[in-house]
Amino acid sequence: MMRKDVLIIDDEPSIRRLLTSALDRAGITHAEAANAGEALRYAQATPAPLVALLDLGLPDRDGLEIVPQLAALGLSVIILTARDATQEKVAALDLGADDFVTKPFDSEELLARIRSALRRKAGPLINVHRREFAGGHIDRDTHEVIVRGERAELTPREFNLLWALADRPGRVVTHESLLEQVWGPAHRHDLDYLRVAIRSLRRKLEVAPATPRLLINEPGVGYRVAES
Amino acid sequence: MDDPRPTTDAERFLRLAQREARGRLTVYLGAAPGVGKTYRMLQDAARRQGEGVDVVVGIAESHGRSETAILLEPFAVLPRKTVTYEGHSLDEFDIDAALERRPGLILVDELAHTNAPGSRHPKRWQDVAELLVSGIDVATTLNIQHIESLNDIVAGFTHVRVRETVPDSILDSAEIILVDLPPEALIERLHAGKIYLPETAGQALANFFTPAKLAALRELALRFAAGSVDRRLLDDLAISPAEGDFAVGERLLVAVSPGKGGARVIRHAKRLADLAHASWTAVVVESGGARGVAGSQREQLAENLALASSLGAGLMTVAATDVAQALVDQARELRASQIVVGKSRRSRWFEWRHGSIAQDVIRKARGIAVQVVPLDEADERPAPVREANPYSAPALALMLVMAMMVPLWLAETWLPASAIDMLLLLPVIVAASMIGLQAGLWAAVFAALAYNFFFTAPRFTLFITSAGDILTFAALALVAGVIGALAGKVRRQAETSAGVARLNASLARFAGLLGGVSDRDATARVACREIGALLGVQAIIVADEAGHMVVRGNDSFPRLDLVDEAAARWTLEHGQATGRDTGTLNASDWQFHPLQTALGIMGALGVARPEQGRVIRADDATLLASLIDQTALAHERLVLEEDARQVDGLRERDRLRGALLGSIAHDLRTPLTAVIAAAETIPATGDYAEEVRIARTEARRLERFLGDLLEASRIEHGAIEPRLETLDLTDVVAAVLRDLRQDRDGGRVDTRIAPECPLIMSDPVLLRHVLINLIDNALKFAPEDTRVEVAVDTAPDGVTCAVRDRGPGLPPDHANLFERFERLEGSDRVGGSGLGLWIARNFTEALGGHIAASNREGGGAAFVVTLPVAASGSEALRPTDDA
Repeated sequence: MMRKDVLIIDDEPSIRRLLTSALDRAGITHAEAANAGEALRYAQATPAPLVALLDLGLPDRDGLEIVPQLAALGLSVIILTARDATQEKVAALDLGADDFVTKPFDSEELLARIRSALRRKAGPLINVHRREFAGGHIDRDTHEVIVRGERAELTPREFNLLWALADRPGRVVTHESLLEQVWGPAHRHDLDYLRVAIRSLRRKLEVAPATPRLLINEPGVGYRVAES
Repeated sequence: MDDPRPTTDAERFLRLAQREARGRLTVYLGAAPGVGKTYRMLQDAARRQGEGVDVVVGIAESHGRSETAILLEPFAVLPRKTVTYEGHSLDEFDIDAALERRPGLILVDELAHTNAPGSRHPKRWQDVAELLVSGIDVATTLNIQHIESLNDIVAGFTHVRVRETVPDSILDSAEIILVDLPPEALIERLHAGKIYLPETAGQALANFFTPAKLAALRELALRFAAGSVDRRLLDDLAISPAEGDFAVGERLLVAVSPGKGGARVIRHAKRLADLAHASWTAVVVESGGARGVAGSQREQLAENLALASSLGAGLMTVAATDVAQALVDQARELRASQIVVGKSRRSRWFEWRHGSIAQDVIRKARGIAVQVVPLDEADERPAPVREANPYSAPALALMLVMAMMVPLWLAETWLPASAIDMLLLLPVIVAASMIGLQAGLWAAVFAALAYNFFFTAPRFTLFITSAGDILTFAALALVAGVIGALAGKVRRQAETSAGVARLNASLARFAGLLGGVSDRDATARVACREIGALLGVQAIIVADEAGHMVVRGNDSFPRLDLVDEAAARWTLEHGQATGRDTGTLNASDWQFHPLQTALGIMGALGVARPEQGRVIRADDATLLASLIDQTALAHERLVLEEDARQVDGLRERDRLRGALLGSIAHDLRTPLTAVIAAAETIPATGDYAEEVRIARTEARRLERFLGDLLEASRIEHGAIEPRLETLDLTDVVAAVLRDLRQDRDGGRVDTRIAPECPLIMSDPVLLRHVLINLIDNALKFAPEDTRVEVAVDTAPDGVTCAVRDRGPGLPPDHANLFERFERLEGSDRVGGSGLGLWIARNFTEALGGHIAASNREGGGAAFVVTLPVAASGSEALRPTDDA
């Protein structure tokens, strides 16, 4: 059996139809599951799909429950969730989800996220020291950050923060995870450290710090760095 | 009754505050007529009018004195109301006109005046009290002898008893201004003909004007005025003695007896209580003997109780046979420091035989001071109790003795002589114990005579020959006396306790019956039937339902006439008893009592009696009070039950609403999600580009509208719980612009953020709603070719986020802008739920911030949200870096 790119998990037939149609047009292969049981069966099949598009409101189980199982089976999990459900998003990310898309979604954005996830799945990283992001890259080996062709002078903390974000470009890293990685576990709730550091980074990296395009905040959840 | 004194600062302030809301009473107090009270009142009023106070003369007597008449000239004078009574037409103060006119200050002369029959209140001071309650300041005049508690004292040395009295309570919160004139000057004025005296008073009043009496009256007035200043100081400056002093030290108990002297004792107690700043309680002891108290005495007792109540005493009725013991026990229970009793001047013989309650109280009241008020003979207690059937007592005794004689006569031959004496005791014992002492004594006499006549030699004569016969006679009399007295006492005790048991039984039955009914009509019917039966009256319950007086409980009285309705309304509004036998609107045939509960006044119980006399007899007053309490409780229970049912209903409705919202959230949003996703997928190019664009925009709008509805319902349910965290407004604004698709090229929003702007403490989700509403609004109103400005700045009270557009601006009258369903003029063309700004305001306020709107210079609207800075906001700006 051919490997499917995306497993669509949603109990709403119309949403499933819409997603399949969009994926078809984009040339992305897919399978469908209407509930958690079906989804897990598909996920355990060999070869397993690469990405799971998971609506958390499932009829048989809470979608959050199967996030760790799907992640453990090697799927990149993108959850579909309501915009204000910040705690749900953080919980899903903590449980191993890769990303989220808020409803009502626009299919362009959704396809972009799926492509990004597929890309990350596709091949091993060429350079373990270097990460690309929109308009530049960060190199851990040379301790260099290049934005729009110019070298940016970052403090070690800012460098570490940018690396923590760019390590998984395009994916949201929760506030707590960033604080833990950059400042240490004792500071995982000191959100003001993060806000100030992001502000400082933006001043050095963004074209217009007031309208950030590179370091993007998902309110109540975390930051992501825009992909190239 | 509870201690009326304020016991805490809070209560004291409350009372002061109440005094503020009530009208203020100024009393011009004089020692005698003619000292110039009215003159002084008018002078002061003229000054007040000069200060801009709206002064109206309600009623003022110039008594033909020209200087007073001149002083009256500058004032507006209320026309008097003419009342016709028994062919005379009387001019009276028109209280309704005064209430309607609502002046700042009204002058009402002669506080002690008695109104013409048929007026709203029998007394003018009651009119004044009503004016005060409705917040109108009143100035009035009063002579010292009209003060209720001083009535006896004045009568004591002037030998003129004044019938028109004013209760002390109305003067409690009044400002007393003493109008003083030395006695000599007053007498001079009298001789100069400057003092008007009513012709009827003539010589009696003229007797007032002797230097000695005037001096005494003047001293009384001075003392009263000084005492009043003291009292007000105590209240205002909160320097009243410590609480404990009142609780233990200063409570008086006064024994109320049915005689006329009772009133005198009560007035005396009032004065003592005032001097000691004490509260006082009037106690009636219902001894079994009271069954002999005649109707007139009962009425006197009720009047005495009413007097005590009007002078501020708490009332209490105790059932006991030993009056003195009951008084002392009650005093201990109330922790009273003094007992006041009256004592008549009676012969030692009378006291030896009947005992004296005052003496008994003194003997038993260890540690409690006893004040004995001497009473005149005219004030005397009623004659001792007489037996129920005074005329039939000898006849009954005779019959009993005769009945005994028949078998004795027949059996004499074989009975020993001593047995005959013993058996003759039988009718004496029976008569003494069953009928009463009198009958016993009569029986003793008859038995002795019969014994003498039939059984001693010489037979059939009444000659007594032997000493033994005399002894027999004496023994019979003694036995009759002792048994009669004992039996009488036992019977009285039994009657008293039977009375108490009957009372308790009827109350228990009443409560039981009321507990069994569950609607207002049935409760009223049961209550009225039982109260009627227990008290021998007609009873109704009146309630105000949406402005209509509804009469329940008695089919014979489906509605009230105007007078009765006015009385009932008064009771419902003021919580006071009105109508027959009361001080308010007593032209009504009914007597109304408020059914007072913690929830308010549930209604008025009306009682009436077809015959003359008091509606409620004095000894029924306690029972009536208990019945009223029970009825009020039953009504309260009905209201609480009704509330509980409504709460259940509301809870059910809330649950349904929650379920409905849940289904909106899911069932409406899911298809909408599909619609939006589909619309976004269709490329907006070619022939149908415009249609696709419209579909996208409107679908998004519908989604936001749905979101608004859900948020509004969360606000209404108080379900907004902000989760505050440190936020950078840059992030929130950027996220909102992304959601509004304004972050791409071709966006119409310019963002400016002050570089050193502090972080804020806020909830990202709620704040996003606020900003998305404001920015979306601006985009909606502003023409396509203009730009919307979002500016974040530091302000003294936090961080501001301003959203400014170049749209049509706010309408001139935009006070309700942030209310629900307020749309700007012409905004229906642009659409919107009408909830956006209301939600924005509610969320901002939940976040501890505020929101304001104004018009911009050069056109357009500006909305500014101010949000609190994060606690560590300024510090956080310092580099936390390793730098």
